[in-house]
Amino acid sequence: MTAVRRSGRLILRALDRLEEWLIASLMAAATGLIFVAVVHRYAAALPILVVQDWLLRINLSWAQELCIYMFIWMAKFGAAYGVRTGIHVGVDVLINRLPDRLRAKIIVFGLLAGALFTGVIGTLGAEFVWDVAHTQEVSADLELPMWIVYLAIPCGSYLMCFRFLQVTWWFVRTGALPHHEIAKVEGLDEAGDDLHPADLRHQVKS
Amino acid sequence: MSAYLIFGLLIALMLTGMPISIALGLTVLTFLFTMTEVPLHAVALKLFTGIERFEIMAIPFFILAGSFLTRGGVARRMIDFATSLVGHWHGGLALAGVVACALFASVCGSSPATVVAIGSIILPAMQKQGFPKKFGAGVIATSGALGILMLPSIVKVIYAVSTNTSIGALFVAGVVPGLVLTCMLGATTWYLARKNNYPRLPRASWSARFKAFRESIWGLFLVVVVIGGIYSGLFTATEAAAMSAVYAFFIAVYVYKDMTLKDVPRSLLESANLSAMLLYIITNAVLFSFLMTSEHIPQMMAQWLLDKGLGQIAFLLMVNVLLLLAGNVMEPSSIVLIMAPILFPVAMKLGIDPIHFGIMVVVNMEIGLCHPPVGLNLYVASGITRMGITELTVAVWPWLLTMLVFLVLATYWPALSLWLPKALGMM
Repeated sequence: MTAVRRSGRLILRALDRLEEWLIASLMAAATGLIFVAVVHRYAAALPILVVQDWLLRINLSWAQELCIYMFIWMAKFGAAYGVRTGIHVGVDVLINRLPDRLRAKIIVFGLLAGALFTGVIGTLGAEFVWDVAHTQEVSADLELPMWIVYLAIPCGSYLMCFRFLQVTWWFVRTGALPHHEIAKVEGLDEAGDDLHPADLRHQVKS
Repeated sequence: MSAYLIFGLLIALMLTGMPISIALGLTVLTFLFTMTEVPLHAVALKLFTGIERFEIMAIPFFILAGSFLTRGGVARRMIDFATSLVGHWHGGLALAGVVACALFASVCGSSPATVVAIGSIILPAMQKQGFPKKFGAGVIATSGALGILMLPSIVKVIYAVSTNTSIGALFVAGVVPGLVLTCMLGATTWYLARKNNYPRLPRASWSARFKAFRESIWGLFLVVVVIGGIYSGLFTATEAAAMSAVYAFFIAVYVYKDMTLKDVPRSLLESANLSAMLLYIITNAVLFSFLMTSEHIPQMMAQWLLDKGLGQIAFLLMVNVLLLLAGNVMEPSSIVLIMAPILFPVAMKLGIDPIHFGIMVVVNMEIGLCHPPVGLNLYVASGITRMGITELTVAVWPWLLTMLVFLVLATYWPALSLWLPKALGMM
């Protein structure tokens, strides 16, 4: 039993790292790509003997399309990561005024609604990818098969669904929600509460 | 009828505190499953094509640039420069904080990021000098709102995308209103500081000023990169954003050396997290406006508003009240995404300039950021100062009143925002 649990935890942690690595790399790659494409556009206009010929031969017209696809992939997987970090904010003014028990119930409802929505979208997306995969549709510049590009919808959404269920599980067990702390700057976070202000009224009983 | 259902369901779902993006998406799904014959197939496609526009990609780039600027020591040097300029007047560091926020805002597109960048450095320093905690937090939480008004701004990109307005013109249109608001916030600070006799700094010599300017020039040069690039047609707004991210990375790591290469992945991850959240809301908002358009709701609401016989003045007043109310419960990007498609067509019919309307919306969002219950700037300031939100709410009111006065100015004096882009021939 413990071995199963340990390997399960290991897989989860690997999934966490993979997710973080993927979205950070996509961010960096997209930025680098657009930078290179812009520099290339102007450098190729410089009349330097051999270099210009070489630069003109490189065609970067697909950069914009690739950048969009990379960001869409980043957005789909980043949204799943965001569930884990609690960055998806909602209107919590009302429910924070409710008694603890009722508030907890509504929060669980909200989280499960998130899981439901992403689950449905994932399924719709999967069907859609399946249909597209049976066509010859390719992207305009890169000529990538579109079904690979669209794969971001089912994969990202199912992952997000899983994250919502995970957070629900944590919340039911510990009564704590992940909170994104935007003001955290190194050197400033002295020991103390890192509770989100909205949570101050509902101190977590540990 | 369907309009009431859609909005009723949306509001009910939002009040349960679930993420706004999910509430938007679930509303659409429920409606599609039960009421209409729009093929569900279209939904999955919309989820992808909704953000398949290069203009939208300016958002992650600006967020990344902001992260490098915040961590990379640009803010610190701008504060030094601002302090050397105005530190000897009444208000000292507080006044320098206002100016530093304005400087930082002209290179950064987000308000909370501006509060973090300037506030985390200047607030501890102010406390050490003997300013009351309340005063410092009030100044910075409100001045930080300049982040979305001055030059580049994420909220402006979202407005531009959802209304098809020129991003470049919107950026430039924020300059004059931004400067006016800076002066007004500075004047309020000056007056309060003089009344309470808060500490001032010794006057800096011109050589010290020049030195501080030279130090901060690397960061300030970003204005030239972004605006010069867009204005001269060298690059599009999105490319300008990518260039500014690379430039900010370069100065943070290689010029100022406040960041090492080891810190870069964390900046990347955090920016990706924030961008993904915004892109996710945008996707679902696109889905939502797709539903509204297929039910002809914007046209109906526009017609309804026009039938009321509202003139420009009354309409703008109504929009202000509506946006300020929405600012109570939602954050700026969601408000713009939900409201702009409804309000914009009416504004156009009444002959209001799209750029002027955009700037007015942005000023409303600024005010929404600075007051509870969902003022993001307040939460950030409370994170830095460890003050409660209630206490902060009291602390910001002098500047909040100033901003409301400014809102009236920005609403009913279109030339304030339109003069500069017109003079530059951008519209």
